[in-house]
Amino acid sequence: MWLKRLATDRLARCLGAPRDAPLAVIAPVKSALRLTAVNGEAARLGLNPGMALADARAMYPHLACADADPDADQHMLAAVADWCDRYTPLVGIDPPDGLILDVAGCAHLFDGEAALCRDLVRRLHAQGCEVQVAIADTVGCAWGVAHYSGSALVPAGAARDWLAPLPLAALRLAPGIVEALAHVGLKRIADVLDRPRAPLAARFGQDLVRRIDQALGREDEPITPRLPVPPYVVERRFAEPIALERDVLGSIAHLACELHRLLERRGEGARLLQAALFRTDGKVYRIEVGTSAPVRDVDRLRRLFAEKLATVGDACDPGFGFDVVRLSALVAERCDPQQTGLAVPDHDVEFAHLIDRLGARFGLRRVVRLMAQDIHIPEFAIAAVPAHAVKTSAATVQVMEQDSLGSVRPIRLFARPEPIEAIAEVPDGPPVRFKWRRMMHDVAHAEGPERIAMDWWRDEDGRTLTRDYFRIESKAGVRVWVYREGLYGRETTEPRWFLHGLFA
Amino acid sequence: MAEPLPTLLDLRRLLTPGPPQAAHRLALGVPGIDAVLAGGLALGAVHELQPARPLDQGAVTGFAAAIATHLTRDGRKILWIQHDYAALEAGTLYAIESFGLPLALVVQVPRVIDVLWALEEALKCRAVAAVVAEIADDDAVDLTATRRLALAARDGGGLGLLLRHRPCATASASATRWEVASAAGVRDGFGGLGRTTFALSLIKNRCGPCGCWTLSWDHHERAFLAPALSLGVAQAARDRSARALPGRAA
Repeated sequence: MWLKRLATDRLARCLGAPRDAPLAVIAPVKSALRLTAVNGEAARLGLNPGMALADARAMYPHLACADADPDADQHMLAAVADWCDRYTPLVGIDPPDGLILDVAGCAHLFDGEAALCRDLVRRLHAQGCEVQVAIADTVGCAWGVAHYSGSALVPAGAARDWLAPLPLAALRLAPGIVEALAHVGLKRIADVLDRPRAPLAARFGQDLVRRIDQALGREDEPITPRLPVPPYVVERRFAEPIALERDVLGSIAHLACELHRLLERRGEGARLLQAALFRTDGKVYRIEVGTSAPVRDVDRLRRLFAEKLATVGDACDPGFGFDVVRLSALVAERCDPQQTGLAVPDHDVEFAHLIDRLGARFGLRRVVRLMAQDIHIPEFAIAAVPAHAVKTSAATVQVMEQDSLGSVRPIRLFARPEPIEAIAEVPDGPPVRFKWRRMMHDVAHAEGPERIAMDWWRDEDGRTLTRDYFRIESKAGVRVWVYREGLYGRETTEPRWFLHGLFA
Repeated sequence: MAEPLPTLLDLRRLLTPGPPQAAHRLALGVPGIDAVLAGGLALGAVHELQPARPLDQGAVTGFAAAIATHLTRDGRKILWIQHDYAALEAGTLYAIESFGLPLALVVQVPRVIDVLWALEEALKCRAVAAVVAEIADDDAVDLTATRRLALAARDGGGLGLLLRHRPCATASASATRWEVASAAGVRDGFGGLGRTTFALSLIKNRCGPCGCWTLSWDHHERAFLAPALSLGVAQAARDRSARALPGRAA
């Protein structure tokens, strides 16, 4: 599939450039401004990509021009590729302006290849994209036909006959090879098809032979799909687009029923789900929901998406409505049916559901467990690990050794230790008073120091300083965790003080 | 085979106990407090904790964790909801495992309105024994909001603890409101800081009088200790007769 006028179509779509006026896209090529793309109207006037802007302007002084923006073009191509997902999950991008769709096994869903082709062209045309589509046995053949003879349906086994009259460039050869072949009088594909392979390969490189093989199906050419192919997909198409959130949610619930049946048959549950909403004008919204445990219960799936839509719903502008809603399980895991209690509801299941709902609304990364780590540096000793990544049964509970009647570590820790002004009686002793957040505190009692060295073995410049931690109780009874940064005399002469945490 | 689903649902409905009784209470293990609260903190209700001084945020957190620990014994879960701004202002949760809450589940939410939503959802869930929610902005939590939370807690039967970051006097539908401060602890015999000590004052109680207490927390037994009576009492002289001991004189 070739988006013939991608650059000018993008301008017409996004910037509202008129379609019936000649328009050219220009870029500096070899120190001259040249046309890189023209729209249909400009092509009719005889302008071609590659022409110098000065020549074009000499012919048509009123020619409208815009600067080329290859990134935006690629963005648009990716958006079209997303949209093409409705025909087949295997969509590959063929830069700079082509898409490769593997429709094997999908065409019957659209009443055959011809109908699929018509539907694709009609819909893309309605969206303002001019395309040439060819369906053939091989990627190479489809590419050549789409680029050099227009939209066509190449019957199975007829690749050779279709390719023969096309110019050699239709084989996706580098311009240098095409030029070299032209020098010796080989211009059409038919000219090289029947020639002995060895001399061709020796003179023009292995690439030529490989491309011929690919086009004729003698060598396999895999498509690299843009998106991973999900293991479970269910979808629903609407003759009349739907726009209300209620309807979208309703159709997701219906799809969840079908997904449930599929998952149940294979004894699996979904860990990552995606709802794709295809808007009529080509925009595709993808809403992903993760779960903490494999899920296939219809009601739970529906409520997860209800939460997610409540938060991201505003970002999904329905416009003129969605005509395809697709639900896919991107990641599935084994999920065996469990015996549930008759009288007492299962707390674990209910709690997992609560985590999923909180995760759907705030993001699963924000639902965390505090876990002790095997690191001695206070900032990292207890880490917030996303709850869905933790297997509760496998997690070992490490309780820090208690060497006093009180708690050894503070109950709240500042992510960034707060600088304090402290006065100590002796340089490496505990402070007698300190000022934190503009308030003066007198120290009634101090425990320490607890010396914690940073990981000096990683630090080659010797910039990290050793910390001496003190547990301090102020005269008002408040307990805090402060430290002095740097060993006095050895590492620094003016150690700074920080408050790192609050004790209960 | 007949349809199994309705039958199972009917049976469940027959067997499921109704909403938890109002008499269901959590005893804190301190006779004075439990008497005032008519048996303990009411479950299926929301309680508010606030610091006496802005510095006492650590004490409020510790007291909430200590209460929640009492509820983990039957295997039900504790959920902690932390507002991002609260974490920035008073630090993130750190060693709550020393209060007996290992592997605590924490939800970090970006807005105050999200704290209320998450708190309500969690209170409705019967699998959750206690939900602790921290709020740095007091204005959003008004009478209407707390009334909603109280109703959710009544349905779910869990304990809701609302942690404020400032002393606040707005009306609310909570069952009790506590003002928590750190108190100077009794030194242990070796010059250490000794047990965590809370100076509590119950400033609102829907079902009884208010009061003030000083409580210590025993990290090993995971229990509150009644006010330390020996506090501030001079040591008895060894060479006096028993009649002159200070305990007898009173």
